[in-house]
Amino acid sequence: MDAYTIEKKDMKILLKRFQEDYKVFGPIKPGLESKFDEIKSIEQLHLDYISTVLPPKKFFHPPKEAMFSYKIEKGRFTSKEIKQNEKILIIGIHPCDVYALLKLDKLFSGDFKDPYYQNRRKNCVIVALNCVKPSEYSFCSSMNTGPFLDKGYDILLTDIGTKYLIELGTKTGEKLIEGLNLKKATKDNYHEKKRRLETSKKKIKKSMDALKISRIAQKNLHHEVWFDLGECGGVAGSLPCLSCGSCTFVCPTCYCYDVYDTVDFSLKSGTRNRELDSCQLLEYGEVAHGGNFRKDRKDRIRHWMLCKFGVAAGGSNSSCVGCGRCIRVCPSKIDITAVAKAIGGG
Amino acid sequence: MKNDYSPHSAIIKDIIVEAHDTNTYVLEFTDKKFQKDFSWCPGQFMMLSLFGIGESAISISKVGDNGSLYSTIRNVGNVTNSIFNLKKGDFIGIRGPYGLGWPVDKLRDKDVLIVAGGMGIAPFRGLINYIKDSRKNFRRLEILYGARTPEDMIFRYDFKDWRKIKNSNLDLTVDEISIGSRSSCKIGLVTSCFPSMKIHHRNAVALICGPEIMMRYAAKCLETIGFKDEQIYLSLERRMKCGIGKCGHCQVGLKYACKDGPVFNYAEIKQFIHPL
Ligand SMILES: Cc1cc2nc3c(=O)[nH]c(=O)nc-3n(C[C@H](O)[C@H](O)[C@H](O)COP(=O)(O)OP(=O)(O)OC[C@H]3O[C@@H](n4cnc5c(N)ncnc54)[C@H](O)[C@@H]3O)c2cc1C
Repeated sequence: MDAYTIEKKDMKILLKRFQEDYKVFGPIKPGLESKFDEIKSIEQLHLDYISTVLPPKKFFHPPKEAMFSYKIEKGRFTSKEIKQNEKILIIGIHPCDVYALLKLDKLFSGDFKDPYYQNRRKNCVIVALNCVKPSEYSFCSSMNTGPFLDKGYDILLTDIGTKYLIELGTKTGEKLIEGLNLKKATKDNYHEKKRRLETSKKKIKKSMDALKISRIAQKNLHHEVWFDLGECGGVAGSLPCLSCGSCTFVCPTCYCYDVYDTVDFSLKSGTRNRELDSCQLLEYGEVAHGGNFRKDRKDRIRHWMLCKFGVAAGGSNSSCVGCGRCIRVCPSKIDITAVAKAIGGG
Repeated sequence: MKNDYSPHSAIIKDIIVEAHDTNTYVLEFTDKKFQKDFSWCPGQFMMLSLFGIGESAISISKVGDNGSLYSTIRNVGNVTNSIFNLKKGDFIGIRGPYGLGWPVDKLRDKDVLIVAGGMGIAPFRGLINYIKDSRKNFRRLEILYGARTPEDMIFRYDFKDWRKIKNSNLDLTVDEISIGSRSSCKIGLVTSCFPSMKIHHRNAVALICGPEIMMRYAAKCLETIGFKDEQIYLSLERRMKCGIGKCGHCQVGLKYACKDGPVFNYAEIKQFIHPL
């Protein structure tokens, strides 16, 4: 497909076009941290961001959502699916976060489909942004999920100086820029993209041997690392895990959720809801008679790490994309790449 | 798009009291066509749903001739307690059936050992009836069922029929018998019946369902009398919020208990359930 360029100062034209058909979301920076939020004017859009606290997963698998509204009349219930039909466009998603969505796409499909996730995905346009400023915690290059993207986008932007290179991935993307009279991309523009990719890669300090760790992790279920992480010591200068669940909350591929019902004052109607849950919390593994099959902290942190290494039930559909958010937010300074190295998957 | 989280409405046709904390609910779908098309196999479960309260994974213990579903429920908490407040004629939601159930084809021409503890007998009821109905496909059947007291035993009205199954044995064990009770149950753990079983472990398959600690212990004991891990199957109990492999709660190693289980080969999951 054709590619174009747009001057950075002209981005408002692009935004205006997007806003004609979609509610637009993108990175903003209201304080010290960046986050994805609605973009009403071009001044808010902060494409120059490093990483956001929460991944864009929140638009598709939100921290909390209502699934059904229900009514109970004369003991009989009726329920109605709460549909998500809002058309949105997200601009500025980094490759790691796009890869995370591609994984969740698989997780939420299969024999049983998750209509909530799928509807939201179907109604969303992805305008991705190649990552020229990886964070100090990133290791996407070892996970093959960045810093540049080759799939999963409708439109792909790359910062090439005073301009963005605009590449198109789908018909939807193509349609969106139709008639904007953008300049066709030149060989030089592509050359500049390539140069920036190389520079970006060099900025990535952390690494993990994704293949190797997924191969050896299962054979090391009783490795001392898990004891150090869970009970005492810590790994590579970290403190032991506190089971706070921050890692799971900021992880773009963590999908676990809990379901709960709310009841209106009438006691005759209400909603069935779900919210993100965390395998790090003690309650997650409870069974009858006070049993808990992941009672020890070391079992819980091990379970999460194995999941991120791609060797839990989610397989590669919930494995790590190297965004580094968990390392950044961990109050104990646990670094998943250091843990992998300690097990021998460096 | 079809919504797998959406429960189907069913009416409670009958309630059978099994024990002081356990009832069997006979359920019929409001949608008769759905009921007609409902197919299941022993060991599968469904999600019972009460809007305003929540959902619980409950085994299908039997399907009646007219397609009504039998679910036998112990009152342990939030959802189950609310189900106990329901009466004949009340409505409940059902999703499912889910899971893979007992490996019936692996039992063909084998001695079958069933080890059940407490509520763990529920998913076996369908299997025992299945074996009874196609008796020639299976060899010896040993049913070992343990409960806290004789009064806690469920499906007691079935025992007579089970005892009539050719080439079979039903052994009942309890932790205690109250003074004056005329129970024929043995006192002890179900595993205490292992030595007197008349099965040939070389050509047998053992199926276990009960509290996890009991299953681990039973599996260990079976190993010591010559069973290989591959000959042992367990039905795991895990907290389940969706039943369809999306909520993550029931993960066991590389599998979801709801979708890939709840019945697992012991060899497959041994390392993921706590060591003794
Ligand atoms: C495949 C499968 C089949 C089952 N079949 C039956 C059955 O035939 N009959 C029956 O009575 N029960 C069965 N159970 C157990 C049943 O699902 C739980 O007892 C029930 O969900 C408890 O819900 P509650 O809201 O009443 O209790 P809660 O108020 O949620 O909790 C009460 C106690 O039960 C524990 N618990 C909650 N959910 C589960 C769960 N899914 N598994 C184990 N412990 C849990 C809690 O940690 C707590 O200790 C089955 C479970 C599974 C996974």
